[in-house]
Amino acid sequence: MRVGVEVGGTFTDLVAIDGGRVKVAKVPSVPARPDDGAMAALVAGEIDLAGVDDLVHGSTVATNAILERKGAPVALLTTAGFRDVVFLQRHSRSRIYDLFYKKPEPVLARHDILEIDERIDAAGQVVRPLDEAATLTRLQAFFGDGGYQSVAICLLNGYAEPRHEEALARLVGEHFPDLTVTCSSDVTREFREYERTSTTALAAYVQPVIDSYLSRFEAGLSEQGFEGRFSVMQSNGGRLPVAGMSRNAITSLFSGPAAGVIGAARQAGLSGHGDLITLDMGGTSTDVCLVVDGKPNLAGETEVDGLPIRTPVLDIVTVGAGGGSICWVDDGGMLRVGPESAGADPGPACYGRGGDRPAVTDAHMVRGTVRAEAFLGGRMAVDKDKSTAVIKELSENFNMSVEDAADSAVRVAEANIVRAIQLVSTERGRDPRDYVLVPFGGAGPLHAARVAEELGIRTILVPPNAGVLSAYGLLASDYLRYETLTRRIALTEAAPDQVRTLFGELRQRAQAGFRALGIEADLRFTYNLDMRFVGQAFEIPVELNGESLAGLTAEGLLDLFNEAHHRVFAFGESGLHRAEIVSFRLGASAPPDVVPALNEGVAQAASRAETRIFDAGAWRDCLLLTRAAIAEGETIAGPALIEDETSTIFVPEGWTAEADARDNILIRGGD
Amino acid sequence: MAVNTVDQAVISQGLIAGAREMGVKLVRSAYSPVVREANDCSAALLDRHGNVVAQAELIPMQLGPIGATFGPCAELFPTAELREGDFYINNDPFQGGQHLQDVFLFSPIFFDGILVGFGATVAHHLDLGGGAPGLNPDATDVHQEGIIFPPSKYNMAHDWNGGPLERLVRANIRVPDQTIGDFNAQFAANGIGAGRVQELCRRFGAEVVIEAMEELLAYSERRMRAAIRELPDGVYEGEDFLDDDGFGDQPLRIHARVEIKGDDVFVDYEGTCDQVKSNVNCPFASTVAAGLSCVKSVLTSPDIPFNEGSKRPIHVTAPYGSLLNPRRPAPVRARMLSAYRAFNAVMKALAPAAPEKVIAAGFDSTEVVVLSKLLPDGYSIYLEIFGGGYGASAHADGCDAVDSPLSNCSNVPIEAMDMEYSFFRVEEYGLIPDSGGGGRQRGGLGFQRRYLILDDDVTFATYSDRFRLAPEGLFGGNEGARAATRVHRDGEVIDLPSKASFELRKGDVLIAYTGGGAGYGEPAERAEADIARDLREGFVAASIGRADAAE
Repeated sequence: MRVGVEVGGTFTDLVAIDGGRVKVAKVPSVPARPDDGAMAALVAGEIDLAGVDDLVHGSTVATNAILERKGAPVALLTTAGFRDVVFLQRHSRSRIYDLFYKKPEPVLARHDILEIDERIDAAGQVVRPLDEAATLTRLQAFFGDGGYQSVAICLLNGYAEPRHEEALARLVGEHFPDLTVTCSSDVTREFREYERTSTTALAAYVQPVIDSYLSRFEAGLSEQGFEGRFSVMQSNGGRLPVAGMSRNAITSLFSGPAAGVIGAARQAGLSGHGDLITLDMGGTSTDVCLVVDGKPNLAGETEVDGLPIRTPVLDIVTVGAGGGSICWVDDGGMLRVGPESAGADPGPACYGRGGDRPAVTDAHMVRGTVRAEAFLGGRMAVDKDKSTAVIKELSENFNMSVEDAADSAVRVAEANIVRAIQLVSTERGRDPRDYVLVPFGGAGPLHAARVAEELGIRTILVPPNAGVLSAYGLLASDYLRYETLTRRIALTEAAPDQVRTLFGELRQRAQAGFRALGIEADLRFTYNLDMRFVGQAFEIPVELNGESLAGLTAEGLLDLFNEAHHRVFAFGESGLHRAEIVSFRLGASAPPDVVPALNEGVAQAASRAETRIFDAGAWRDCLLLTRAAIAEGETIAGPALIEDETSTIFVPEGWTAEADARDNILIRGGD
Repeated sequence: MAVNTVDQAVISQGLIAGAREMGVKLVRSAYSPVVREANDCSAALLDRHGNVVAQAELIPMQLGPIGATFGPCAELFPTAELREGDFYINNDPFQGGQHLQDVFLFSPIFFDGILVGFGATVAHHLDLGGGAPGLNPDATDVHQEGIIFPPSKYNMAHDWNGGPLERLVRANIRVPDQTIGDFNAQFAANGIGAGRVQELCRRFGAEVVIEAMEELLAYSERRMRAAIRELPDGVYEGEDFLDDDGFGDQPLRIHARVEIKGDDVFVDYEGTCDQVKSNVNCPFASTVAAGLSCVKSVLTSPDIPFNEGSKRPIHVTAPYGSLLNPRRPAPVRARMLSAYRAFNAVMKALAPAAPEKVIAAGFDSTEVVVLSKLLPDGYSIYLEIFGGGYGASAHADGCDAVDSPLSNCSNVPIEAMDMEYSFFRVEEYGLIPDSGGGGRQRGGLGFQRRYLILDDDVTFATYSDRFRLAPEGLFGGNEGARAATRVHRDGEVIDLPSKASFELRKGDVLIAYTGGGAGYGEPAERAEADIARDLREGFVAASIGRADAAE
């Protein structure tokens, strides 16, 4: 049996697959002890741990440690003259008219930082040598009574030549063996000192937290007879065996949204769709991601609480549009939705927990697109009258009917989602009309068709168990790690050989890393270069495949770069010497031995009825059915609401729905 | 026909997003460090009359007056005669431009043959010729500062891409590959904006989009007026001073009379000194931007889209021939310095009317540091823009070491400089303890940069301010520390003035100290916990209350 357990902020989800049998469970999370929530999910799913071969886990432990500033006491060793880099940051402001502006607060204080006398230049040459004896004396004074648990080491140009970082790590390891040591050269080998220092400090900050969390969880599992393989999900969309987290805890941030994308990509792939836009809409926000040929787009950087983290992550854009998003009128009289959310408590007005402002879910209640009797599969009581009351108040601002106000609020929420999708598609030079929309999460399938219409998307694929797809994504994920390196190389005739040599070195590094984790499978590699025209400061990724790498020429590389540059920026240039390579990124992955398929699993009663909904300015008769009621080969014409255990699918007029052999529902239309 | 509520919201968000995307792509595809690292550029979508509808929020200074820069172009070359591929260009400080380095480009957006609006971008170009690479601090007229593009109309196919205009520009500037690259990035960003507007036209129809643009202007105006109405009517005055004009040592007075009357604000810079012969003269468009930015920052929540509508209730005037509205051919390169004092004067005037919304004076200067050297294969120019400490407010200590309010430049990473420049190396970059003025809330700290010069014949050029006159505290707060620039040579320390150029040689150490912000409220009222934290972290030294940065 294979089990995925995903601990989210509100709920902990579980998907267990044994042969063709699929079990799902959803229990409340235990924020103070996330492993308790995970254990509760295993109990709720009636999982016999002795029979589990493969258990994959995702959690918000690392993210919360940063957001709540509950990481380990951490010190930073950095090059003399640059102690303040984490406070100076990038000298700019994220809100330009905010006179009371405050910079994002680093996770360590100024007295936690020790300057080390040394300097290496951009070519990796030592400008000022490291005096180990003198440094040791200073370290002894600094760590003496510090109470530190973890130490980050990030030196200027350490990405180009890590030997001073390594020497410091050895010194610390020999003389202060209780400290966890994190070197920038092990975490990210890319230039720009603020981003790399921030990443290293955060990595050191969460490492001891993740270590103790995972060992406690693992011990709990073994107590109950678990002998299978235990893996942890990463923000790059891949998993690593738990041992791989001992140097890499920072990659476990944001693993939940990444797992959802992987689950969606896998499930859509079974039906033959590889070019996708995923749309994961929950209670407070919506995450979207572009997937090309089954592979989610990557970004080189993300941030938590305003602090940058330089590591490959899925290129997921989040907007504050969820079921709990507040609908409001600003002081210029414009209708707005979000980013403020009613959350789970008090929640939308219909929850009856004191929420007195209209949320998107309330608008759906008024429109009839969410039905009180079917809320969360009928397991939660909600009050439609409360929704009507708060939406009526909203409607009075615009001189419109209650239904029109509800409809308008839903459309504004959908416009926000459309904007997010344009960010990951149009702005990256990709036309959304070439993609299939894959909605999941509790609210995604309800909004997908209208979002698709705005973008000109004609096909929507709704996976089974859309409300717990992230937990499935854990099981579908490959073992994956990235190796990165900054090395500036002019695009001349000599460049292709240099590229092959450097990727060869990175491949060996990756292979050694996997061997150390006990993964001997043949690895698959992806090759990415960050390139720019000489003089530019920002790079754009250029993807190479294994074959193009073998036969790579300077002209061919320039063509690939020009094409990528044109796609994003709408202009380019010619001339070899005008372009350069800045960074290298190698992805190395191994598939899990088995990837189980997801299906509906839970036997749901087939039922079919009529209801009335308010959509696009009018009340309409609407077919109401359960997912199980769709017959094989049957085409359902909209308007229709298709309800299942964890979400509701809305098929508007002009759209049709059918179920395919993989238990996906395909919705087509929008002409 | 009014656009319905939802379409209005969707189109408005679409226009704002389009302008934002233009700005992001302009920064990310630009070549010269001042645009690509320092973000010294802006982008906007204009309606078909040239009113700014939506802007990328990059540099407040360039945002306000884009419409004013457009006007003179349209007067000479009517919009009705524009064809596909035409563009307007303007950088003339005396016809709606700012300083020469900021070149404005406007590209018309057509849909089905109808003119719907314009994509507009402005970028600070690293070098546009003139008397010295990057910055000519000794210029005594505008002609010594670079090439002037008077308001004109050209065509991409005919004049650019190897055409006569591009050839003319290329021949008159020092780093043509970077500068032409930046122009191309501007054109491309304009094209991206056009594409987004055309998508909206396809979805909603050109008429609806045009109407929605008008309503977006009205919407911003309503919100701005609502904010102004909350202030008590009255006439308020404020003043601040520049250290000097760089040639003499007399302070330059800038005075603002601010009248709040119902839901209008009238800012008049009467009482400001006459224009000077050095480059601190501030073209009127920049003066307007400074006044607007101050009123907007103080009065409104940050999410009001800043466009021509939000400007309508704010009326800025300055005497012709004064520092803030100079006559041709005054040099204007360092106009930001005077613009900041214009900002400060309005801020001080508003303090009694809105004590909870203003901040004390900060470093509030643009410090430009240019290091250049002629190498065998051409000029290598390093240019960076520094802010310092923010003034404190009723709510918070001033922000430490950040770009000043009218600008928003990023720093160049040390590791990027190590890669790029062979003739100097940065050896220190840190906060300056004690540089923030004391107060119930303290001013933000300034910072220092130490450059070791690795070769002979390196030219340093700079302009800055607050070397002599410190920023004043508010409601009992102390002043912030002053700035300084020093060269250490053979055991000797050479103090440089705030506006200067200087020849450096191998082994010299150049240190730039930027100023701190002033405090807000009585220092005696500062919370014990804040004092303890400042001492623990070394933001304030135990021995002294406040000292000047460089002492």
